[in-house]
Amino acid sequence: MVDVSKLRETAREIISREDVRELIGYRAGTYGFRARPAFVYDPGEVDQLIFNPACVNNLATYITLEEKLPVPRGQEPDLRKVAVMVKGCDSRALVQQMAENAYERDRILVIGIPCTGVVDMDKVQARFPDVLGPGEISLEGDKFVLIFDGRREEIPKEELLADKCKRCRFPTPLVYDVLLDEEVAPFATDDYSDVEALESRSQDEKWAYWEEKFSRCIRCYSCRNVCPMCYCNDCILDRLRPQWIRRSVDISENTAFHIARAYHLAGRCIQCGECQRVCPVEIPLMELNRKLYKDVEELYDFEPGVKVDAPPLLSSYRPDDPEDFIL
Amino acid sequence: MNGKPKIGVYVCHCGTNIAGTVNVEEVRDFAASLPDVVVARNYSYMCSDPGQALITEDIKNYGLNRVVVASCSPRMHEPTFRKTLESGGLNPFYLEMANIREQCSWVHEDPIAATEKAKRLLEAAVVKARNLEALEQKEVDVEPSCLIIGGGIAGIQAALDIADAGFKVYLVEKSPTIGGHMAQLDKTFPTLDCSACILTPKMVDVANHPNIELMTYSQVEEITGYIGNFNVKVRKKARFVDMDKCTGCGDCAEACRLAGRIPNEFDEGIGMRGAIYLPFPQAVPAKYTIDKENCLFLAKGKCGETPKCQEVCQAGAINFEQQDEIVEFKVGTIIVATGYDVFDARKKPEYGYGIYDNVLTALEFERLVNASGPTGGKIVMLERGKKKKKKEEEAEAPKVPKSITFIQCVGSRDKSVGNEYCSRVCCMYTAKLAHLVKDKIPDCEVTIFYMDVRAFGKGFEEFYDRVRREGVRYIRGNPSEIFRRGDKLVVKAEDTLTATPLEHETDMVVLSVGLVPRSDNREIIDILKLSQSSDLFYLEAHPKLRPVDTASDGIFLAGVCQGPKDIPDAVAQAKGAASAAMIPMAKGKVKVEAQTSVVNEETCRGCGFCVELCPFTAIELVEVNRQGWPVKVARVNEALCKGCGACVAACLSGSIQQRSFKDNQLLPQIKVLGVK
Ligand SMILES: Cc1cc2nc3c(=O)[nH]c(=O)nc-3n(C[C@H](O)[C@H](O)[C@H](O)COP(=O)(O)OP(=O)(O)OC[C@H]3O[C@@H](n4cnc5c(N)ncnc54)[C@H](O)[C@@H]3O)c2cc1C
Repeated sequence: MVDVSKLRETAREIISREDVRELIGYRAGTYGFRARPAFVYDPGEVDQLIFNPACVNNLATYITLEEKLPVPRGQEPDLRKVAVMVKGCDSRALVQQMAENAYERDRILVIGIPCTGVVDMDKVQARFPDVLGPGEISLEGDKFVLIFDGRREEIPKEELLADKCKRCRFPTPLVYDVLLDEEVAPFATDDYSDVEALESRSQDEKWAYWEEKFSRCIRCYSCRNVCPMCYCNDCILDRLRPQWIRRSVDISENTAFHIARAYHLAGRCIQCGECQRVCPVEIPLMELNRKLYKDVEELYDFEPGVKVDAPPLLSSYRPDDPEDFIL
Repeated sequence: MNGKPKIGVYVCHCGTNIAGTVNVEEVRDFAASLPDVVVARNYSYMCSDPGQALITEDIKNYGLNRVVVASCSPRMHEPTFRKTLESGGLNPFYLEMANIREQCSWVHEDPIAATEKAKRLLEAAVVKARNLEALEQKEVDVEPSCLIIGGGIAGIQAALDIADAGFKVYLVEKSPTIGGHMAQLDKTFPTLDCSACILTPKMVDVANHPNIELMTYSQVEEITGYIGNFNVKVRKKARFVDMDKCTGCGDCAEACRLAGRIPNEFDEGIGMRGAIYLPFPQAVPAKYTIDKENCLFLAKGKCGETPKCQEVCQAGAINFEQQDEIVEFKVGTIIVATGYDVFDARKKPEYGYGIYDNVLTALEFERLVNASGPTGGKIVMLERGKKKKKKEEEAEAPKVPKSITFIQCVGSRDKSVGNEYCSRVCCMYTAKLAHLVKDKIPDCEVTIFYMDVRAFGKGFEEFYDRVRREGVRYIRGNPSEIFRRGDKLVVKAEDTLTATPLEHETDMVVLSVGLVPRSDNREIIDILKLSQSSDLFYLEAHPKLRPVDTASDGIFLAGVCQGPKDIPDAVAQAKGAASAAMIPMAKGKVKVEAQTSVVNEETCRGCGFCVELCPFTAIELVEVNRQGWPVKVARVNEALCKGCGACVAACLSGSIQQRSFKDNQLLPQIKVLGVK
């Protein structure tokens, strides 16, 4: 477990540096066990920073999400570094963003958090539905310890652990400038049994399944907005000329949206699971992403966001690339 | 665009090619009913002069600003009609074609359905035409020099023609000498000219020509750029012999400890050479080469006390320290003349090649009958793989075959080995070799097994007749097997003219192997991005009208690398390629692709996918100022862009568009063609 005083001390040092503009970390949320992103500009603000298994957000998103406002005439753009706290899974987003030239390595300062797993807030909520006051979660051995309303509850890790953590192969960040704790050895593997279960269904069953899911979509685009890999300045989904996808919320346009979203992530999704986490209507987006992830791995022996300096899948071509799937 | 689109539509009958299936009048009437179409006509041959005149007249009379021609593939006549527009005073890129021949009349039988489809294709062209934009076709300077890859007869002829016209030629040959396969041949059909006598003077001309820079034992490593401005990188492999000092005296080859112990490639392994060698006496350049795989000193680090060659070379030309050298230069055009391999007869195991000493390939036999070959032109029975007897006198005189049998179409016209095509030279070279046997051993019995005799060329039939009159026996049948019986070989076959199975005893079998694409063709394909036809030879731009061009501007083909052919055809094609290559060089300028990609720098996020993908290295990332922020964006070099569209497809933010294929031009087409 990350020591909070060490975390704050490190953060203080970093945000005090001349060449750092901003530090993105976590702070306690406004109710229940939740944590939320913290944007720190001043050494005086570091004491709000925390890290615990409630820190689910992938903060890499905020690096590319930040809007670059026009620089007033006569002023220079602020090109100082952005410091960001990342777990192992989140760090893959940084690797992939940099592979895509989203920014140069020296534009960021990475505070790595070796991670032993985070909770699935929905599971916590289901278990303790009415906790509104502040609560705290920590991991002790193979149990999550929850402290709230003067109570202390111990729940086996398995029961609250986020699904993505159950198949996490990269608990320690793959890029970092400082590491807040000892490296964590991988404690899980990924057998894609969930994807295989989906693959084994008939075409009709799959269609019925996804039709039901997509029909729920309200096109809030949260999944796109939270995705660390969706950061085009001008998303094709918002364009009017040509209008690739109409604004209407119906099964046809919803399906088109979800297919476009999934395909734009093929060979790029790093499986942080943020899209599915934020979906207000519980569409299992990771099932789509993971299907494409598995295909890419099987066909091209490629995993995005794993190797620093590896060229992105879609920009590399070999004459012997498999193409049996082309009709 | 100036004002409303005014579209003229022209439906071509193409004789009966289109009109035989598609109701062209109906298509024309349909076209006339479409919005913005001010005139619609049909005509028997739109590409003819009167056909084109219809368009130019209408441009004048109706003030057309868009033209749609519904005819054949744009690959066929897009350039024609673009010129028509130009001569009518319209920007040539205001043309759109609907392919109602290859994509409609030729592939459908039902006239009603085909007519419906033609209407759809035409409507799609009309809706696209509405949004077409005028494009500017830029010109670039052409470097007045040509790279020729391959120094066989085709490469040699092209080099001489271009050099004689006053342009610089770089001739790059992989092996230590130029000459290619023709240098290996004895006589040539059908005139029986001595191959060396007509070839070697040309080889010497190449070596002495002031405009030709010859690079043998060299390989093209990399080519970038485009017509007019190719940058070439060539690796000159180390020969370990100083080319300036070597006098070609040959003392080294005699002294080499391995002299006569290494199969000579030039003699197809029938003759032997040393580790330092000249492939054949008339080789050009007449400079020796050390083969580093076999040389004791280079491969094992030790060759007696001192390497013999070094010891005897009075010119001091041997240099074991020599390194490969990389040379770089610029050329305006490129001719590929890399030739062929002969079919590997081991792929037909039933013929026993590689098992029986006296089953030969025709190319081996060429060396055997050749006066400058390993036997001095004596046709003798081979004892392969046997160590040479110490003293020549001890060896018994080699036996002369009393009967020789040829089998044609080995590896040609044979689906079982994947070669459906006819190799075009085997019928005639077999007749030639049969004649040479009769000439040298008059009482030798000569039999030829054949499927058909294709004597299609000038003087071929006459030659075939002559050979038959010389007593050569032709049996129509494709042998199924060759085996040994005693000291004879037995060819098992069926004479299909009399339907009699037969077993034919013979001393020697010659397999008339076909011509196949070189096993190392991939190298050049990767470097130049050439296409292959289904037989895997290099693909020409058009089988009839552009037989020496490739799909890439400024790159031409000559000789057998494009498909099997004999020497006269290879020479003719080489002369064609040379003159095609000289056109842009003589003009000094070429037009470059106008339908290039453009980047929307406002939305580009600089990921660089397109940069990596571009097969023409036409895109780079540049830093721009976006509202005060330094950001990287992709930028297209329009001289390099070929308009392939790979970048457009890869761009996730949809920030690249290809001119004439923009979203607002293609999407209306999709709408028309989509299921309604
Ligand atoms: C047994 C036999 C008998 C024949 N007899 C006759 C005959 O009597 N009359 C007749 O008209 N035709 C005959 N032919 C056909 C004749 O050989 C060809 O038409 C002719 O040689 C074709 O010449 P070319 O220059 O296209 O190819 P090649 O002769 O194959 O020359 C190609 C050259 O390119 C070089 N090269 C290849 N790749 C590269 C590279 N990547 N870089 C640099 N250099 C490279 C090769 O080393 C070679 O020197 C015969 C063919 C055979 C097999």
